[in-house]
Amino acid sequence: MKTLATLVASLVVASGVAAQAPAPPTLITHATVLTVTNGTLTDTDVLLQGGKIAAIGTGLRAPAGATTIDATGQYLMPGIIDPHSHMMSDATNEGSLSVTSMVRIADVLDPTDTHIYDALAGGTTTLNILHGSANTIGGQNAVVKLKYGRTAAEMLFPGAPPGIKFALGENVTRKNSGRVIVVGQPQPQPRYPSSRMGQEEVLRDAFTRAIDYRRSWEDYRARVAKGEKNLVAPRRDLELEPLVEVLEGTRLVHAHSYRADEMLMLLELADEFGFTVQTLQHALEAYKIAPEIARHGAGISTFADMWGYKIEAYDAIPYNVAVTMRAGVLSTINSDDDGRARRLNIDAAKLVRYGGLTDDEALATITINGAKQLGVGDRVGSIEVGKDADVVLWNGHPLSVYSHPLTTFIDGEIFFDVERDKAKRAALEAERAELEAAEPNKVPTPSRGGAGRGATPPADSTWESRR
Amino acid sequence: MHLPVRLAGVALLVAAVATPGAAQHAPVPPSTWAITGARIEPVSGPAIAKGTIVIRDGLIVAVGANVTAPADARLIDGSGMTVYPGLIDAAGSLGFPSGNAGGGGGGGAASRATAPNSNYGPGMQAELRAVDQLDPSATAFTAARGAGVTAALTAPAAGIFRGTSALIALRDAPVGELVIRDGIAQHIGFSRGGGGGFGGGGGYPGSLMGVFAQLRQELLDAQHYRDLQAAYARNPRGMVRPDHDPTLAALQPVIAGTQPVVLFANSEREIIRALDLAAEFGLRPIIAGGTEAWKVADRIKAANAPVLLSIDFPRKSAGGGAAAGRGGRSGADSTPEPLRVLRDRVDQPKGAGRLAAAGVRVAFVSGNDYGELPANLRRAVEGGLDKAAALRAMTLEPARLFGVADRLGTIEAGKIANLTLVTGDLFEAGGKVSQVFIDGERYEIPAAATPAAQAPRRAPASAEDDQAAGTDDHDHPAR
Repeated sequence: MKTLATLVASLVVASGVAAQAPAPPTLITHATVLTVTNGTLTDTDVLLQGGKIAAIGTGLRAPAGATTIDATGQYLMPGIIDPHSHMMSDATNEGSLSVTSMVRIADVLDPTDTHIYDALAGGTTTLNILHGSANTIGGQNAVVKLKYGRTAAEMLFPGAPPGIKFALGENVTRKNSGRVIVVGQPQPQPRYPSSRMGQEEVLRDAFTRAIDYRRSWEDYRARVAKGEKNLVAPRRDLELEPLVEVLEGTRLVHAHSYRADEMLMLLELADEFGFTVQTLQHALEAYKIAPEIARHGAGISTFADMWGYKIEAYDAIPYNVAVTMRAGVLSTINSDDDGRARRLNIDAAKLVRYGGLTDDEALATITINGAKQLGVGDRVGSIEVGKDADVVLWNGHPLSVYSHPLTTFIDGEIFFDVERDKAKRAALEAERAELEAAEPNKVPTPSRGGAGRGATPPADSTWESRR
Repeated sequence: MHLPVRLAGVALLVAAVATPGAAQHAPVPPSTWAITGARIEPVSGPAIAKGTIVIRDGLIVAVGANVTAPADARLIDGSGMTVYPGLIDAAGSLGFPSGNAGGGGGGGAASRATAPNSNYGPGMQAELRAVDQLDPSATAFTAARGAGVTAALTAPAAGIFRGTSALIALRDAPVGELVIRDGIAQHIGFSRGGGGGFGGGGGYPGSLMGVFAQLRQELLDAQHYRDLQAAYARNPRGMVRPDHDPTLAALQPVIAGTQPVVLFANSEREIIRALDLAAEFGLRPIIAGGTEAWKVADRIKAANAPVLLSIDFPRKSAGGGAAAGRGGRSGADSTPEPLRVLRDRVDQPKGAGRLAAAGVRVAFVSGNDYGELPANLRRAVEGGLDKAAALRAMTLEPARLFGVADRLGTIEAGKIANLTLVTGDLFEAGGKVSQVFIDGERYEIPAAATPAAQAPRRAPASAEDDQAAGTDDHDHPAR
């Protein structure tokens, strides 16, 4: 038991206290560096220090205390950025209302989701965790760095601008049709709107209310400024505050949308209310309206070759990224899936085949373009001096299906390393054997504790959490 | 039942005159007791190897090695017994219809209680009070008493704002006689509520995200209400009268930090979220559940938050249920249990000791599994908690936390006569609760009846309870 206790204690330390210190420097030498923004540099050294990319060049000196990695024959690329994910969250949709701008993904992050580790093993370092698409105006998203083992607060991307999810089309209207009624369960309530017309009205109504709300605060502040006494500030409205931020350009809109007509509706509505849609998510028909999207200034985040899974996803082509990118639209590939999040390099590679993107353009769809869409383009997404040391070392070119990451760094710290992973397996198996032999993990003999005693979850809803 | 003895005597006399036959079948319970020759663990001081406790009219009137039993006392031979302060279950829903006490139904029923004239929906009505809703069935407290539990903190098991809890004595008596202290804390849960939630399952909030948004909005509204009422009280002239709102009025002591909030949170991340919310609004947090509290002991200590710790420790089940078939690794199809599940079962009993070592105040919660309560107490001690601390966690510590240490939690003259009598030792295998005193009223525990048999456990709660209704709504085609 002593061994176990020591091991558990060391895990606690590893997950908690060690978080604060900056990572010791690492010098990666003789790598093929895919900077994404400045082409490919062969036989090049990169120094990671103080959590940043400190130097790029040849013949770099390792500072004191640095670990040196000989990366001869290996490829270094920026950490992959997935602009659309629902990973590591204990809830995805607050679908009960048409407008749920008050809910926050950041409140329900699950930093223990093992998909995080899988994503790291695929070279992914940053996720945009979005609310689902159940309603026209969904909740606030969270941009995270995948620092597996840390708390949710330590994983939030520092300084990333806040955002919000909108949704158009079938997923929103689907809330009103084909709902399965289960006997004994509360009957689902139909929810407005049940058409695309209604979705436009929901947006128009919500932003009109947000303008009124903003005015009430402006009036209050003006009266305070005039020296009026005994004033009470207006009621804070958590639903409308984020929409005011959208109007003021401080909160980014990520809008789930498929059809060209609904995307145009949103862009025109945004023009009318004076804000810019940051990204059109999915946007499978974006190729039909690429100039209009470019003119508005929106980006798109789409799938490389996944469509046909519902009516509004039929009219898709594999050239969507190429067409929009050539029209000047900032375009990215996303996973929208816990498993696919670790294979985004393959999706990027498909764009070389469909549309003739250069390697750098293809890589940009999973790195720098996503960083820009999330408002962190000055921090991550490319290998440049001064940027965060979020980089991935690969055993081969990342656009090859035969390649896989060897080591994944975030802020200069290793969060995945294939050799460490292998080395850890024996210890984990030993721990498992020891745990399985412990009394609470043994199947009880029938005489003990009566029927069903044991792993039965807490019976009453007082103890909510799943165990 | 708790009539002063003289009054009861008068009543008996009157009854005897009127219907002499009936009187013979309604004996008045004795109000004076002396437990002699027992080992006494008073908690307020060192153990007394052989002593006497005298109870009169519901109170302890004397305790010590040299105390003599009064002539009118009913004597209990305490040799071979250990007497403890009556155990206190620091959280639960005992006494609620279809709450977690009776073993049936579900917490959902409790959430149907609604406050009159509320502007907020069911599950969000902070003005609810446990004392108004208590409706214990005839056997509601039998299992708890069988495990030596004499008092419990109780509140509805479902909802977000669940209203204020009460500390109650687990007697078979009218509700008014049960309440030891009302308005102890506002209870807050982070689930949509048991059994499909409120609002018919389709209402807001329908997810954990919505729960947090609703909590924030309601607390902000309470602050706004405070400011409006204060402004109107200062000078009503020229100001439109603010509405009265019972929910926001009830939240005033919560946002002022004078009434604590009991926050139900088990996992590390749930506890962090709860503490963050408390810090955001300046609430006085008490964590309830806390199965992973030991992992964040430093944060809990820094927040000065006590933990009402569930000692319903998990064990691998014999079969049936979701875990079945995952147990053995022999079969080709069997999936090994996740390491985190295996670790959790081993770690949980060590949690109390770790929290105590970190300086966190801990009171124990049975988790409603009264059949396993004595064994779980022993597991907490085996897991590293000092035996005296374990006893305090079910006696003096909850009494202090709930503001009743001047009347409950130790065996001292003048305190409420809540006692737990154990044949042998509560912390030794074979120790058996033989009787309890509650408000000086004796309840004998039938030897044959195991508490577990009296309180069948409910079917496992759905793991989906906390999940949003529409996780299928994003765009992976496979979903």
